[in-house]
Amino acid sequence: MLRYVTRRAAGWFLVIAVATNATYFLASSFLDPRSNFKELRPVRTDEQVSRALAPYNLDPHEPLLHRWWDWLSGVVLRFDWGRSPVGVEVNGEIGHRSLVSAQLVIGATLLSVVVGVALAVHTASRQYGWRDRAAQALSMALFNVPVSVAALALVLLAIRLNEQAGWHFLYVAGERSPDVEGFWATLGDRAAHLVLPTLTLTLTGYVGHHLTQRSLLLDVIGSDFVRTARATGLTRAQAIRRHALRTALIPTAQSVAFSIPAVFTGAVLTETVFGWNGMGQYFVQTINKNDVHGTVATAAFAAALTAIGAILADITTVLLDPRVRVS
Amino acid sequence: MTLAPARPTGPENPGPGPERPGPENPGPGSGPGPARPAPVLSVRDLRVSFPSEQGPVQAVRGVDFDLLPGRTLGIVGESGSGKSATALALMGLLPPAAHLEGRILLGGRDLAAMDDTRLARIRGKDIGMVFQDPMSALTPVLSVGRLLSQALRVHQDLSRKDAWEQAVQLLDLVGIPDPRERAKAFPHEFSGGMRQRVVIALAIANKPSVLVADEPTTALDVTVQAQILEVLRLAQRESGAALVLITHDLGVVAGHADDVAVMYAGRIVEHAGVDELFARPTMPYTARLLAAVPTAGSGVQRPLLPIAGEPPSPVALPAGCAFAPRCAVARDVCRTTEPDLTAPAGRPGRVACHRAQEIADGTLDPAGPAGSAVALTPDRAAARRTPGEVVLRVEDLVKTFPVTRGALLKRRTGTLHAVNGVGFEVRAGETLALVGESGSGKTTTLREVLRLRAPEGGRIEVAGTDVATLRSAAQVRELRSEVQIVLQDPTDALDPRLTVFDLLAEPLRAAGADRTAVRSRIPRLLDLVGLDRAVGDRFPAALSGGQRQRVGIARALAREPRLLVLDEPLSALDVSVQAEIVNLLVRLKRELALAYLVVAHDLAVVRYFSDRIAVMYLGHIVESGATEEIFARPRHPYTRALLSAVPLPDPQRERRRERIVLRGEQPSAARLPAGCVFVDRCPLHREADESVRTRCRTERPSTVGAPDGSDHRYACHAL
Ligand code: SF4
Ligand code: SF4
Repeated sequence: MLRYVTRRAAGWFLVIAVATNATYFLASSFLDPRSNFKELRPVRTDEQVSRALAPYNLDPHEPLLHRWWDWLSGVVLRFDWGRSPVGVEVNGEIGHRSLVSAQLVIGATLLSVVVGVALAVHTASRQYGWRDRAAQALSMALFNVPVSVAALALVLLAIRLNEQAGWHFLYVAGERSPDVEGFWATLGDRAAHLVLPTLTLTLTGYVGHHLTQRSLLLDVIGSDFVRTARATGLTRAQAIRRHALRTALIPTAQSVAFSIPAVFTGAVLTETVFGWNGMGQYFVQTINKNDVHGTVATAAFAAALTAIGAILADITTVLLDPRVRVS
Repeated sequence: MTLAPARPTGPENPGPGPERPGPENPGPGSGPGPARPAPVLSVRDLRVSFPSEQGPVQAVRGVDFDLLPGRTLGIVGESGSGKSATALALMGLLPPAAHLEGRILLGGRDLAAMDDTRLARIRGKDIGMVFQDPMSALTPVLSVGRLLSQALRVHQDLSRKDAWEQAVQLLDLVGIPDPRERAKAFPHEFSGGMRQRVVIALAIANKPSVLVADEPTTALDVTVQAQILEVLRLAQRESGAALVLITHDLGVVAGHADDVAVMYAGRIVEHAGVDELFARPTMPYTARLLAAVPTAGSGVQRPLLPIAGEPPSPVALPAGCAFAPRCAVARDVCRTTEPDLTAPAGRPGRVACHRAQEIADGTLDPAGPAGSAVALTPDRAAARRTPGEVVLRVEDLVKTFPVTRGALLKRRTGTLHAVNGVGFEVRAGETLALVGESGSGKTTTLREVLRLRAPEGGRIEVAGTDVATLRSAAQVRELRSEVQIVLQDPTDALDPRLTVFDLLAEPLRAAGADRTAVRSRIPRLLDLVGLDRAVGDRFPAALSGGQRQRVGIARALAREPRLLVLDEPLSALDVSVQAEIVNLLVRLKRELALAYLVVAHDLAVVRYFSDRIAVMYLGHIVESGATEEIFARPRHPYTRALLSAVPLPDPQRERRRERIVLRGEQPSAARLPAGCVFVDRCPLHREADESVRTRCRTERPSTVGAPDGSDHRYACHAL
């Protein structure tokens, strides 16, 4: 197993290295940091721009290969992913923002999976009952609501609730309040800020898990082994939970593992509405601001997550499904 | 329909009966003495219906019976007779859409009136079930030890460790070697037979008083079937449980049941002690069924008497007796009034037939006036008189497959010798049957013949042409018209969107026939296979199983082949329909001078329409010869074991006869022994003297002819 994982990891590392370097060349040719200076008054001369960009290894007069070599040696030797056109360190940005995103994404993903799977188990045991139909209809409706709409609706609702309660307990913007001190107070404040964005991501994220898990379960519920389990003295619901679910979870576990990079960088809309400075935002901003190094680092970050997701998916499959255990 | 009146055989309607009768009550085998024990299970007027697009399907229509402690009740019936729905109803495992009526009394409680939660407390504890298909009956992601300990902990307050310990003991009881180690293994690491042992262990884990086994051996090979039936008997003895054994196999019932209930179209039509029922069947259906079932026993082969027609569809049952359309002694009343299940005077047992009394008195033959049915007596003498030319010759055929391991990373780890040096001949007007258990290489052999390409090793000659010499696609196509195939279940092979006419026209057009030729040929084809010409307009879905198989045969005959390859042509058919198809195949062979190469696992059926048999084991032909010769004087130890494992539909002989129960299962063809391929399981080898034993282990036996100079040949050092 370990050997297998190491081999896979090595393979992925190679892929990431190639992809990241390719992204560097692509980003360098499409993103032009000089245009950031166009609107500035007084108008900067070419030389001034070059001088401003040179310390950050972005000077367009420097040959591309030369710049690439500098950037690459920085990454390899010092794990320094470079700086933005205004000199902000990419490492710091990503370090900070990935933590912000992680707060948001991990909680919401876990919640979506738990809610979706639980709902799937509940409704699949009662296929075509009214609860099944109701849950199905709700999920279908939510499936068609764009994230931004859901987020805005929640914001409006929260504002209403805050007014009604006369107490500002639901935060609609930001990831923390500026003036909180002390460990417990900080923790509580962070959590309170998390409520609405997490809710948004959960509401839009659980739907997929509910619908796919439900149909996966329905495929398995009719199988002989569930009947055998019932024959040993389990009720239908127990047999579904202990035997059918265990088998039907395998594809879900895989898809969750695979979806990690997407949720990390894909929460842009939620981040925007709630004013969180996460990875999603960063990705958009770096492109907008012609931040070559930031864009490349974000891409590398996403690729690394993809690799981790894929390897995790393999590991979970092996753990959950004895039939594919490599001997 | 009314409930059957009080019967001499059945006890009075049980009241709130005694508490669960323990094994101290009269045990297995105790006959119905004057003071009969109270039944453990009483079923009264059980009815099950399923909703369907064509209206409710009445799967079970008023079944009642009593099950006595420690006894075995065999329920026999063909597909659609309602036997499996009865089993599921007993367990409370019917699908939610099913509608259930009547009473199922177990230890004074009515299971039919319980909801799933209350039933769950009884399932597994008081009533256990063994299912048909062991390959899918076990949760794939849990180890068998875990499955068993969970089953134990559902009903008993055990620690994890104690439950595991008991699970290991149970595995040992059902004959899993090295149970402590194997308990950690997952279902896919077991063979079918071993999985069925695990399923039995699950069923008896909590020592239920009733066991329900629904076709427990249908999916298994015949030598494994014999082992599993033994395990079932052992399990029954250990737990003192009464057994409801549901099967379509009259042989299994004959050997293992004390009482037999025959079901037809959702009802019990006859219920009697096993000896009584087989010796003197009273209901015409039972009588005809017994006459239609082939037997593999030695001795004189009796003719098969097919039952005309097919079982009725449960959505369109005829008024009156459901068997009336097929019954040779039906009267007018039979077509209007359904007979009750009653006891004819002077006979034990119950029968649902208007003419039961006449039959019981011996004044009426339930099979109808003699001669009304066409007896099937294979015309072997004729075939021997005119040995046709050789249509198929196979010499030294070899086929291997690579063995790969690992699901994520495939790598080749070995070679599977599926077919190893197989040779035989089939002549025009002759049937050669390849018999053997799954994995013996018989299907691979057949595929190689059908491929019409040079084999990996050896030679295949079809109609005098060596297939290796075929150069162009046109030559292959030409030869292909000489070889056609009939599949096990033609449903898959028949395009559901085409009518029977179009299905038959397809191969004709492919062969270049014009419209008039097609139009004139199809009615003749339909006549040939005994189908009504009107069937031409129907779609396959509107046909019964027997009719579909006839269409399959007609399609194969369309291009006038000389060799017909039949892959388990009868195993998807019910017993009562099988006989007719056997009949048809024999007639066609004679009329058209066809050569048949048949692959079949059912030896009893094979006996009725093959002239010669080749017994395969692990890719080798271990014995071959004329069919009757093989059945009368089997020489190779494997053939002998195989024949003795086939259950006979005759309770007396089935109980008396000596059985060679083979140990273990056919090993994988990826690890062929250096010597005789049968050495691991061979009973003869174990008794042989040292010099023979050494040869068995080191030297592959060559095929030799019997001393009488016939074409009876076998490969064994000890003979
Ligand atoms: S004689 Fe009448 S009642 Fe009896 S089996 Fe035949 S058709 Fe049915
Ligand atoms: S050769 Fe030996 S092992 Fe093989 S069948 Fe004969 S006695 Fe048995």
